[in-house]
Amino acid sequence: MTRSRSLSAAGWQPEISIVSYRLDNGLTLFVLPDDTVAGVSVQLHYHVGSRNEIPGITGISHLFEHLMFRGTETLGPEEFSRLLQSKGGEINAFTTRDHTSYFENLPSVHLELALSLEADRLRFLKLDEENFQTERQVVVSERKLRSVDSPFGLVLEQLFATAYTQHPYAWPIIGWDQDLRRLTLRDCLTYFRSYYHPGNLTLVIAGDVRPDDARDLVDRHFGQIPAVSPPAPLNVVEPPQRGERRAVFKKVSMVEAFFAGFHVVGLGHPDIYPLTLLAVILSGGNSSRFYQQFVRPGRAAEMQVELSPPPWTSQDADLLVITAVAGPDVSLAELEGDLWKQLEHLHHAGVTAAELARAKKLLRSQTVQALAKNFYRGLLVGLFHLKTGDAHHVNQMLKLFDAVTMEDISRVARHYLREDNRTVVTLQPVSPEESANLGSLA
Amino acid sequence: MRAPIPDIYQFRLPNGLNLMGVEYQRVPWVSLTLMAKRGAETDPLGKAGVADWTAEFLTLGTTRRSQLQLAQDVESLGAHLHARGDWDATCISLDGLAEDLPELLAILAEVVQTPAFPEEELFLLRERRRAELAQIMDEPPELASRRYYRLFFRDAPYGWAVRGEPESVDAIDLSDLRAFYCREFSPAAASLVVVGMIPATQVETEVQRLWSAWQADSTASPPYTLAPTNLCPPGNYLLDRPEWSQSEIRLGHLGLPRSHPDYFPLRLANYILGEGGFSSRLMTRIRSELGLTYGIKSLFHFRRAPGPFTVSTFTPARHTAQVVQEIRAVIQDLREGGVSPQELAEAKSYFTGHFPLSLETPRALSRRLLSMDLHNLGLDYLKLYTERINAVGLADVTRAAQAHLHPEALVALIAGPAALCQDALADLGPLTIIDEN
Repeated sequence: MTRSRSLSAAGWQPEISIVSYRLDNGLTLFVLPDDTVAGVSVQLHYHVGSRNEIPGITGISHLFEHLMFRGTETLGPEEFSRLLQSKGGEINAFTTRDHTSYFENLPSVHLELALSLEADRLRFLKLDEENFQTERQVVVSERKLRSVDSPFGLVLEQLFATAYTQHPYAWPIIGWDQDLRRLTLRDCLTYFRSYYHPGNLTLVIAGDVRPDDARDLVDRHFGQIPAVSPPAPLNVVEPPQRGERRAVFKKVSMVEAFFAGFHVVGLGHPDIYPLTLLAVILSGGNSSRFYQQFVRPGRAAEMQVELSPPPWTSQDADLLVITAVAGPDVSLAELEGDLWKQLEHLHHAGVTAAELARAKKLLRSQTVQALAKNFYRGLLVGLFHLKTGDAHHVNQMLKLFDAVTMEDISRVARHYLREDNRTVVTLQPVSPEESANLGSLA
Repeated sequence: MRAPIPDIYQFRLPNGLNLMGVEYQRVPWVSLTLMAKRGAETDPLGKAGVADWTAEFLTLGTTRRSQLQLAQDVESLGAHLHARGDWDATCISLDGLAEDLPELLAILAEVVQTPAFPEEELFLLRERRRAELAQIMDEPPELASRRYYRLFFRDAPYGWAVRGEPESVDAIDLSDLRAFYCREFSPAAASLVVVGMIPATQVETEVQRLWSAWQADSTASPPYTLAPTNLCPPGNYLLDRPEWSQSEIRLGHLGLPRSHPDYFPLRLANYILGEGGFSSRLMTRIRSELGLTYGIKSLFHFRRAPGPFTVSTFTPARHTAQVVQEIRAVIQDLREGGVSPQELAEAKSYFTGHFPLSLETPRALSRRLLSMDLHNLGLDYLKLYTERINAVGLADVTRAAQAHLHPEALVALIAGPAALCQDALADLGPLTIIDEN
């Protein structure tokens, strides 16, 4: 990013300056120098997520993320976090379908400490039965929070399990309950050896650091870690859907809702740009179509098009999800019928120039706002590299949004948002007694 | 060059409106916020949500623009208009690209100064809030927090939900919203905060042009600063939710107002107790050692009047009583045994090290300025922050913990499946079963 030292908004350019290196052991490093704030975002993206799992060990990627904090040969459980946090750092990690990411946002004077501790846990992670059992219990509690007791968690799991028949995006990142209970320490050790090594790691350092200094530090701490051949690329494709699929999920609920999923594209496909704009036109902001038609009059508590925008879009074909939560006393069937009519109208009439211009400006401004954070700039570069192989693509993103035409929007609406490509799961409320009779939720 | 702590500019308009701002250099963004310094604490009894509904209502039409026109005009600029009531303040924010400052500032002025209060929008707002409430009641953490504060504060302010309670949805009418606006939105009790890539001189000129004519008919309510007297008696309370697999636990007592001189020692003590993530004792004990939860934290809610001190967590239902007992023991231990020099040193270095990073974005800076203004912390607050943290000694933290943690006064709400946790909870002492209301 070229930063203006003055307060001239006109002279500002959104480009991120990217310097890339590759260590002999296969580690990929991106440095994004910017000295506006005396801090750095250190990000380690391991190219492994729930996409790499197989039935029986679902959830292992995420469980493993937890185990990475349980100590090494020299550090006790959670000492990693405590040490870095005591330097003013924000430390966390997250697992997605495509990658497992660890990050430290901290004052730049402590960059070397962060790198040394990250290298330490990559080389000397302590995996023992006690740590494993404690953390498995924590993840079981997390699954109850995020899926079982959450209003729509299990319903969304059902949507993905129905929409994807062959692709690993069928199962939840946190894993199926029975798999979490079945996993063993041995499974985790095998997983660690397969995916946690320099060749499967993209390291990003964004912020107040000189690129060559960063490279030297990374080399000092990671350079000695032996190379391992990266896992063979995983080429999995969900076959085209050939007709609508429907399912019902009964649970105790104050609201009626349905979730409609449409197979779309992955991050590397150019259609992600018109699709992202289309999602904004339909439900982004209080002037959007769905807000005006459904939410503003209280017919729906929520009518939202959810499609992870770049760089969050998944690596393989993602699912665009329309979440529809009916307002009190509103017929869910009528709401669904009206939604399909709206999409039908969109297929025929397209969108207006004003709608497209508004969506473009919204995306541009959201991007500019997010570029204020080293963390976001690092994620952009790291995730584009992992999922598309082209980190520099980030600097094309705004131009690609800008180039989208009204015809592009109509085309993607017709091509992706159609009945044969759609999976619908309906949440049907039942009483606690009926729910109990249906068996336990897991 | 790089300035870790930004300079703040300020001036006051003849009508009393206070302008505060920061020239932000990193991205061409601007965050604007008009803060009326009264909030949900002024909601009439039985009409929870008046402050928050009024805030949203201002965005639903002005004398010049309808809801749709306003939303289209704002979003055509790629901007985001956001209005909400909170405790002690009500804020209308507009964030957008710095190049659009004149237009953004004009829209915000129009929204705040010339709302139309269109009658037809009230029905729609009511339906939206009714739908939102139905949805919220399915969310265990939200339901537990709402029920806890209602239990704890009873009918006192800070006890009801800022966005409204089920019984207030039909009770609030347009006159309530008009009354709140006329009473509490006055330039003398408001501040405008501007953080963006715009020179102070330009901001000053634009603000004078657009905000000087704003006048109010009345003076704002007296600020709410006193501690409530009729709080819930200490003890354990159980709300049965048979369909949940986990229990939500809320446990705490009355805390302190923001103006209390023990603010910094207590922030540090609470970081060690439960605000410091994996560095905190609660997380270490309940998650790392026992594996009984995914997350736990404790917070002092520092407000104009004494806010609550609350520990929040959840656990698979069969562990509920054990977790409640462990939390009490951790609080007791910190109160009686104090903190170690190493714990304090690490807490202080977290606060001082993290502080500059917490000022990275315009919105984050804006939040700091709003809080400084609301609580009269002084324009030099950011510059003195590190010094004040570093000045806290071990004796200060020990004294603050002893003075302000009261394990004997804890009110605990457990919301979860009674069949799986009631007996064990009853073994801990008297247990009161409560309903959703």
